Amino acid sequence: MKKREFLTLLLTLLGLTAAGSFVYPLVRFLAPPSGKAKSKQITFKKSEIPVGEAKEIPFGGVPAIIINRRDKGFIAFSRVCSHLGCLIDYNKIQNRIICPCHGALFDLEGNVVSGPPPKPLQKFPLKVEGESIVIG
Amino acid sequence: MWVKIKNWLEVRIGLEELIRAQLTEYRVPRNINITYTFGFVALFAFLIQVITGFFLLMYYIPYSELAFRSIQDIMTTVPYGWLFRQIHVVGSNLMIVMILLHTLSVFFMGGYKKPRELTWVLGTLMLLATVIFCVSGYLLPWSQLSYWATTIATTMPTAFPIIGDRISELLKGSELVSGITLNRFFAIHVLLLPLVVAALLSLHLFLVRRIGISSPPFGKSGEAERPWTEYRHDSHAEGYPFFPDFVLKEMIMVMFACAVMFFIISFLPTLLLPEEANIPADPFRTPAHIKPEWYLLAPYQMLKIIPNKFLGISLQLIITAVFILWPFLERKEETNILKRPRLLGFFILSLVLWVVFTVWGKYS
Amino acid sequence: MRYLLTLLVILLPSVGLTDYREEFRKEFLTKPWAGVQVPKDVCVECHSTDMMKPEIRVIPSQWEMSWHYQNGISCHNCHGGDPQDEANSMSPERGFVGTPKYAKVPEFCGKCHVGILKNFLESGHGKTLKVSGKGPNCVTCHGIHNIQKASINIINEQLCTKCHSYDRVKIMKQALFVTENKINDIDKRVKILKSEGVYTEDEDKELFSTQAEFRTLFHTENVSLVRERTDGFIKKLNQIEVRMQKTFEELRFRRNFSAFLMLLFIGLGIGLLILSKNPKE
Repeated sequence: MKKREFLTLLLTLLGLTAAGSFVYPLVRFLAPPSGKAKSKQITFKKSEIPVGEAKEIPFGGVPAIIINRRDKGFIAFSRVCSHLGCLIDYNKIQNRIICPCHGALFDLEGNVVSGPPPKPLQKFPLKVEGESIVIG
Repeated sequence: MWVKIKNWLEVRIGLEELIRAQLTEYRVPRNINITYTFGFVALFAFLIQVITGFFLLMYYIPYSELAFRSIQDIMTTVPYGWLFRQIHVVGSNLMIVMILLHTLSVFFMGGYKKPRELTWVLGTLMLLATVIFCVSGYLLPWSQLSYWATTIATTMPTAFPIIGDRISELLKGSELVSGITLNRFFAIHVLLLPLVVAALLSLHLFLVRRIGISSPPFGKSGEAERPWTEYRHDSHAEGYPFFPDFVLKEMIMVMFACAVMFFIISFLPTLLLPEEANIPADPFRTPAHIKPEWYLLAPYQMLKIIPNKFLGISLQLIITAVFILWPFLERKEETNILKRPRLLGFFILSLVLWVVFTVWGKYS
Repeated sequence: MRYLLTLLVILLPSVGLTDYREEFRKEFLTKPWAGVQVPKDVCVECHSTDMMKPEIRVIPSQWEMSWHYQNGISCHNCHGGDPQDEANSMSPERGFVGTPKYAKVPEFCGKCHVGILKNFLESGHGKTLKVSGKGPNCVTCHGIHNIQKASINIINEQLCTKCHSYDRVKIMKQALFVTENKINDIDKRVKILKSEGVYTEDEDKELFSTQAEFRTLFHTENVSLVRERTDGFIKKLNQIEVRMQKTFEELRFRRNFSAFLMLLFIGLGIGLLILSKNPKE
C-alpha cells in the first residue's frame, strides 16, 4: 500500500507542476502588454525647420526625418529604406528623396517612385498645433 | 463536501448508475493491446489543437498584409506565444501520426469488418478532414512555404479536363493564391472543419460505444465465430474495467506523446519550420525546392511520376475511394490477418509503397 | 482489387518514357495560374545563341553566377532596352545605352549605386579617371558581369600593385580591418539565428545599412575619414550585437523550458506506468 500511496502523491505533484507550467505561460500570454505603446512625443517649433528644409532626428529608436515640403507642409517618416534598410537622404536642391545604396527614389509622401523598394517609407503621425509640430 | 455534490447530482441524473455503466462496469476485452490507445491519443491531440488554435486566434490577423507579421509577433513579442505556436505546429503532425497509426492498427486487426463498417467510413472521412485541416492551416502564416505549397496544392485539380480549372479557381477564390484564398482557408480551418470533425467524431465515438469495442483477433474471444444477423452488444464480461484500468493505459500513451512533442519543441524547433517558413510570401519568387509536407509526399511523388496528369489524379481519387469503402470491398469474415496471407501481403505492400514514395518524394 | 493491380501494371512502363521532372515542372509550375511568372528575357535568349561571338555568348552564364542575378537584376536594369519585346530590346527610346565607355563606367553603375558614385568621384582614383581617362573604374576591382558580394579581399596586393605600390593600400586595409571583421562576425551570427527559426528582418536591415554606409565611405580612399568614422560604426555594430545576444539567450530559455516540460511528461508517463503495474488489491 505504501508504495502505491507514495506513487499517487508523486504523480499528483508532477501533475500539478505540469498544470502550473501551462497556466503561468497562459496567464502571461493573455495579460495586456506592459506599456508597450510608449508613445513618446517629440515637439518642434515650426520655425526650426524652414520651408524646403528637413530635420533628421531619432524617433522611437528609428532614424526619422521631418520635411517641411514647399507645397504640402510638414511630414515625418522613417529614414529606413524599405528595400534593405539603408538610410535615405533628402536632397533639398532637387527636392526629392533618394537612397544612396541602390538609387531608390521616393516622393515627398514617402511612396516609391522607382527602384527596388517594395513598400513606401513608414510614416509617423504628425500634428501641427499653433506654432509647434508634434510627432507621435 | 464532495459527497454533497455527488448526492445533488445523483438525485437529478442518476450519477452512480451513469458511472457504473459508462466507466467502471464498461469492460474492455482481456487481450486488448497498446494499439487500442491510439485513437484516444489522436482525440487528445485534436483537443490540444483546438485549445492552442483558440489562443493563437487571439493574436493572429487573417489579412495577407499582416498575417506573417502577426505570427512573428506571436513568436517574439507575445509572452510564451512561441510555446502555443510550437505546440500547435508539432501537435498537428502528432495528430496525423496518431491517426495513421490508429488506422493501420484497425486495418491490421480487422476492426472495420461487420458490424463496424460505418465506424471505418467515418474514421476515413475524419482522416481526410484532418489532411484538409493541415492544408488549410498551412497557408495561414503566409510565408514562402505556405504560399507556394498552397499554390501547388490548389493547382493540382486543374489536371481534370473542363471542370479542373473551375475547381482550382473555386479553391483559390481568385486566379492566383491571394488574400482571398487566405480568408477562405481561414474560414474553413477555423469554423467549417472543426464543426465537421466534431460531428464525425461524435458519431464515430457513439458507434464505438454502441456496437462495443472489437477484440483483437489474435486471442480467444469467440467474436468471429458467431454470424452477425441481429444487433447485439459484446460486453466483454471477462474483460477488465475501462475505468480506471484502460483509462490509465490511455493516459500513459498521452504522456509519452506529449514527451515526444516537447522533445521536438526543445531540441528540433526547426524540424517543421524550415527556412522558407520564416520568409514572408513573395508571389514573384519561387523558392528552389518546394515540397508538400511529409504526409502529402507520397501522393505528390505518385502524381509526379505518372506523365498523364488526368490519369494521375484519377488514380489517386480511385485509391481514396477504395480506402473509404474498404469494408464493403473486403468482406471475408476472418478477422485474424495472420490467417490471410494475401491480405497481409497487400497490407505490407501498400505500407512499403507509401513509405517508398514518401522518401522518394523527399529526396527527388 | 485485380483491376487496381492491372492498372498499376499498365502504368509502370510509362514511367520510364518521359522525363517526368521536366514535364511536371512545365505543367504545374510555369503556367500563369500556378503563380510563377517566368519572365521573358529576350536579351538572354539572343545573347546565348551561336549567332554571338564567343566572348559575348559567355556573358549570360557569367551573369547567372553573379550577386546581381540572385537579386533579380538583369540586363535591362543596367543597359536599358525592353527585355520582353525583341523589336525594342535595344531601342534608345526604351532607355538602351549599350556598353559604357571606360571613363563613363562609374556613372553607369552609379545609376543605382548613387552613394558610392558620389564618394568615388571625390577619391584619387575617381579624379584620375575623370582627368586622364585612365586609372581604375568600377569593373577594375569588381568585374563586369560576374559581380560577387563585396569583401575586404578585393583589396589585394596582386590587383593594386598593377599601378602603384602597396604601402598606402596596406594602411587603408588596416583601417578597414576591425570593422570588416565585426561585420562578418555579426553576419555569421545572424545566419545562425535564421537557422534557428528567428525572423531577423530588423537585424538584417540594420546590419546592411551600417555595412553599406561603411563600404561606401571606403570609396573616398580617405584613410583619416575612415579612421574618424570607425568609432561610430563600431558603436552601431555593438548595439546590434547586444540585441542579438538577447535573442540567443531567449532561444536558450525556450529550449530549457520545453525540455523541462518534456521531463515532466516523461516522469508522469513512467509514474503512471508503474502505477498500472501495481493494481489496487
